[in-house]
Amino acid sequence: MKFIVSSSALLKQLSAINGVVTTNPVVPILENFLFEIKDGKLTITASDLQTSMMTEIDVEAKEDGNIAVPAKILIETLKNLPEQPVTFSIDHDTYSIEISSDNGRYKLAGENATDFPKIPTVTNATAVDMSTEVLSSAISNTIFATSNDELRPAMTGVYINLSSTNATFVATDGHRLVRYRRVDVASGDPASLIIPRKALNLLKSTLPSENVPVSVEFNSSNAYFKFNSIKMICRLIDERFPDYENVIPVDNPNHMTIDRMDFLGSLRRIAIYANKTTHQVRLKLTGSELQISAEDLDFSNEANERLSCEHDGEDIEIGFNAKFLVEMLNNLDSKQVTLQFSAPNRAGLIVPSDTSENEDILMLVMPVMLNNYV
Amino acid sequence: MDAFYASVEQMDNPDLIGKPVAVGGNLERGVVAAASYEARKFGVRSAMSGKIAALKCPQLIFVKPRFERYKELSYRIRDIFYDYTDLVEPLSLDEAFLDVTENKVNNPSATLIAQEIRKRIREEVGLNASAGISYNKFLAKTASDINKPNGQAVILPKQAEAFLEKLPIEKFFGIGKVTAEKMKEIGIHNGYDLKQYSLQYLTKRFGKSGLHFYNIVRGIHLSEVQPNRVRKSLSAENTFEKDLMGREQWIPALMEIFEELKRRIEKSGIKGRTVTLKIKYRDFTIHTRSKTFEQYPEEEKIRQAVIELLEQEELSLPVRLFGIGLSNLNIEIEHSHFGKQLWIDFENPK
Repeated sequence: MKFIVSSSALLKQLSAINGVVTTNPVVPILENFLFEIKDGKLTITASDLQTSMMTEIDVEAKEDGNIAVPAKILIETLKNLPEQPVTFSIDHDTYSIEISSDNGRYKLAGENATDFPKIPTVTNATAVDMSTEVLSSAISNTIFATSNDELRPAMTGVYINLSSTNATFVATDGHRLVRYRRVDVASGDPASLIIPRKALNLLKSTLPSENVPVSVEFNSSNAYFKFNSIKMICRLIDERFPDYENVIPVDNPNHMTIDRMDFLGSLRRIAIYANKTTHQVRLKLTGSELQISAEDLDFSNEANERLSCEHDGEDIEIGFNAKFLVEMLNNLDSKQVTLQFSAPNRAGLIVPSDTSENEDILMLVMPVMLNNYV
Repeated sequence: MDAFYASVEQMDNPDLIGKPVAVGGNLERGVVAAASYEARKFGVRSAMSGKIAALKCPQLIFVKPRFERYKELSYRIRDIFYDYTDLVEPLSLDEAFLDVTENKVNNPSATLIAQEIRKRIREEVGLNASAGISYNKFLAKTASDINKPNGQAVILPKQAEAFLEKLPIEKFFGIGKVTAEKMKEIGIHNGYDLKQYSLQYLTKRFGKSGLHFYNIVRGIHLSEVQPNRVRKSLSAENTFEKDLMGREQWIPALMEIFEELKRRIEKSGIKGRTVTLKIKYRDFTIHTRSKTFEQYPEEEKIRQAVIELLEQEELSLPVRLFGIGLSNLNIEIEHSHFGKQLWIDFENPK
């Protein structure tokens, strides 16, 4: 089997799906890309068994055929070649692959394509359409709050709940929680699923910057995403997602509205002085003044700043992990944000002050206990 | 710290300087939390009832305790300690063990470090402190009492045994009034007397503490300075204005204490599997009864357990104090300087 393809066009497609390939896969053949040629079209597949990605590219080929090509060595070769047509010649008896370019010839050992694990298909699927813009903002608004704790598998992904009026995306690591809702995505069949973080990270880095439609299909075990020439299929997390609605306080009496960038800038500076383990910053609200302070007693470091804000409620002092606050504020884009508190040991909420038409976002964060509060 | 609470009051209110001052204890039944050195001359001691204190020293000035202020100063003092070592084990607001074997100022002399720390406390906080220096916690604590107030003392390894032999039994740290009385009953009046008893005898007589007594009198105390103090219980208690007699008085009093405990549970988010009822009778004998649950009990279950525990007790005497405590807690670290990151409670949403 032989085919000719542009080195840079091929590299572009491979790079889009290369993130799936792990360095130490369960089955060694997963260190390869699966190449399948049919009617002048090359389909490339990468998989780690949990997540698989596929892409397509037109090639010049006289015959159909399949081969598994070592991913790392192929990508390295293409990266270092000047743009030009390259010829792949495959010996089906030995699975050896020869790449010829203007610069020379490179021979590498491939593997039998039939050994490559079969990629599941999604049957009896529910379908929902969204745009890359919706999907990428849903991912970036939630993924940072997912957990790395494999002992809490449900929290290692983003929960999606589809109803007839909206789509809700939720992530939590047990210390904080983000609920992102879109009213421009809905499904006639209400459904919920948990998509693993790795798949979402791959999607996030692969989604094109231009806004194109994404088709999403899923059943009880897999979800399938398709946009442009790229397809991704991932296994869902088969766990019960924590009952998130009940932990969101609805009547926090203290409301503080503040310029997001001012607050963020201040937190970034103060965080430098916070304890390196807890990253605790202290927010002290007195009237319409917010005092942000931190101290690291191990190094005698301390810092404090004052900001003015709009505050409705009694004076309060509450501690938070500065990294959490910075991450949350960073992911919002409204000019002003409102923080809602009730007590130094109760969940605080961060919401954008100006609401946008199609989306609704709420972030919950648990405090870090202050040492003068028993 | 020397007469810590009282000294703070004298520092903050110069009118009190040189006068006998008692913090707390002005109610009929309250006790003195701290007495200034001027008051001590009259025999006023901490834990003495306000009534007796006033009899001993008619010109005694009672001031209300301001724990927030003491706490604030305590943290400032602790911050000074942290300049020398991270191995600080606070015993209370005004006492702490420091391990300066390796220290941040590279000073090989614990005596000099103690001097410097006391000087800084005087200059930066404005209070006098005393220090004891030795090779283990028990001896350091014992040494700190030698040159009190505003002094320090060292017990060197070679002096330890001789010093302890002469030490009256009630001065041993960890030997309280009750134990001291028990020891005196069998002829132990000082360290030397204690040393004459075998480990077997002491363990038989005093249980687990026997080994501890056997060791400390030989200058052996292997407990390390523990920088992370772990909160082990959460409790609320009340000494009543008048002793309570009968169920119709006990139940409402207990419920009031339960409400306070509930408030503390809610405020701290702490849960505990063991519920303990503490009863102090008119004759000062203390009884405790506890019940341990498989799972963290809800507030209502705690309330029921308290009543149950009360029913189990043969209440024949008037009750002076009731306390309700929770232990076997769901938290592990309660360090005074490290904040605890709280978790979202998905199981019991509020």
